[in-house]
Amino acid sequence: MATEIARKEAKAAPAKREYIEILGDTVVPVRILSAIVISIALSIGGYFLGKSIFPKIAEAKMVGSYSLLLGIAGSVLGLIICASLFKPSRILTEEETSSEGMEEILLSMQTDPQAEYELIKNDPVTKKEMEELGILETFKRSGGRTHE
Amino acid sequence: MSVLVISILLALAGAIIFSLIGLVSGTDETAIMVPFTLLVILLGAPPEAVFSFFMAAVLAKHLTHAIPTALMGIPGDTTAVPLIDHASSLRRLGVPHVALRKMLSGGLIGAFIALPTAVLFGQFLGQFADFFKSSSGLIFTLAAILIAYFSKGKWVSVLMIIPFAFFIKSIDTFSFSVVEKHLSTSFFLGIAIGPMLSDILFSLSPAARKGLVRSSAKEYHLAPETKSWRGYFPNPFRVLTGRQTAYTAATSFVSSLTFAFSPVGMTSLMGEIVGSRNKGVYKKASSSLASMNGVTESTYIAEAIIPLLAFGIPLSPVALGPASPLFNAPPVFTSEPVNNLHNMLTPWEFFLYGLIGLVIAALIAYPFAMNYARRATVFVMKNISQEAIVGMFIGLACLLAFHEAQLVGVMLTLTMAAVGGLLNRVLGVSSGVQFMIFYGSTYMMSKLLGV
Repeated sequence: MATEIARKEAKAAPAKREYIEILGDTVVPVRILSAIVISIALSIGGYFLGKSIFPKIAEAKMVGSYSLLLGIAGSVLGLIICASLFKPSRILTEEETSSEGMEEILLSMQTDPQAEYELIKNDPVTKKEMEELGILETFKRSGGRTHE
Repeated sequence: MSVLVISILLALAGAIIFSLIGLVSGTDETAIMVPFTLLVILLGAPPEAVFSFFMAAVLAKHLTHAIPTALMGIPGDTTAVPLIDHASSLRRLGVPHVALRKMLSGGLIGAFIALPTAVLFGQFLGQFADFFKSSSGLIFTLAAILIAYFSKGKWVSVLMIIPFAFFIKSIDTFSFSVVEKHLSTSFFLGIAIGPMLSDILFSLSPAARKGLVRSSAKEYHLAPETKSWRGYFPNPFRVLTGRQTAYTAATSFVSSLTFAFSPVGMTSLMGEIVGSRNKGVYKKASSSLASMNGVTESTYIAEAIIPLLAFGIPLSPVALGPASPLFNAPPVFTSEPVNNLHNMLTPWEFFLYGLIGLVIAALIAYPFAMNYARRATVFVMKNISQEAIVGMFIGLACLLAFHEAQLVGVMLTLTMAAVGGLLNRVLGVSSGVQFMIFYGSTYMMSKLLGV
């Protein structure tokens, strides 16, 4: 069922896709609901399976714990299946944020980029650390632009 | 085999297993620690080794659960919930691996401060055992008010304490009438997945959906790798600045003493205090993360050790949750009458075998997470979708709730998550406040309504 959904989605994909933001990351609505269904089914399924097979092979007092472990194995399996069915929709860039990007980010966090840069400039420890990380320059550009 | 060798081997096993479990986001502490610890106890390990195992597992799991927290913005477990905001600030600035390193180093320092503090304090508290046993409800209630005032919602959080306690007690009473036991894991899970569930609920409602719709996928920027240490084992004191080390040490010490408070609440409170003393997004977030992770570590360790050493009965949120098998694992350990680690280990043994656990976990989990943090980020970001993670989180929550109380547990978790999540998202009543209200609800309702 899940693969069908994925396939249908892939056909419709070239059109403009709508994302939903959940816990700070974007997801495709149909996929998130399928992922939840798959995950619940495998977790609880693993637990039921354990409850039915372990009484034959394990001590009675351990059945609960073993079944729980099998249920957890089920949710890990669910993670693997969902991760291979639904590729991440996030875009990962392995480089510095552009100054415009950083400025936007700071503004959306309700901070003033210039004040933020001023604070860093006057704090040698933080300044050095950010320099080593290679993000001081972007801060400088986004915050010091109007200033310098 | 001597007790010492068994302790070292079990600590090793605990450290390795829980380093891996920590990588999986959303593994609820109570539900994961309890079955494993119970396994070790029921398999006949000596009490010293059980304690080493537990300490190693707690530290290893806390260290590696920082990875999903910092890199994906998904709480590694319930104690990581208050760290999410600061972690996502650094993630947006493009330095999630810095968030991670600060958290890891803070956690390590917190753990080694908590152990001696807790052993000494536990010994001291032993003489007041009766007082603490009789006034725990009042302590939880006062803590809830304090933490509510310091949370995002401030007055509305304070105002919601009584109605929320009434709500919790109501669904507790109802579920008790069905399964004849008071549930706890299901409540924890509900509070923990609340914000996630409320996002999903928003997205299903045509009226509320608008705020969550995005036209393009989210972009992440990852800053270049810089390794600021030589060799395999980094020095935590060089990862943190001097000020950060001092904050971490101080907050970890204080939170080791406040053993009756919820670790999540303590973490929020200490995070707010440190955050308010640091200006600027980067510095505020990185300093808060270091001390908050130090606090989650120290509260966990202290909350397990202090009641064990001082009273032998579970008198803290951790002792009632993840550490509960150390108090009660019939027929091996019982707390009524007290026949558990409390009588079996001397304070000196608590320190020694605790130290064995912590050192072994530190040697395994800390360098692993520090050295492979960025590689892990890239791998996770490229291969593991948010859909899969959120799905697993909700699946696990349902599984654990089902394990606790079948369908009633699942329903309770989802009800709790819907109400708690909306209060959190809309009014700013944080998870820490909700946890504290949960612990204080029985006391509050019995005082106010006489039930």
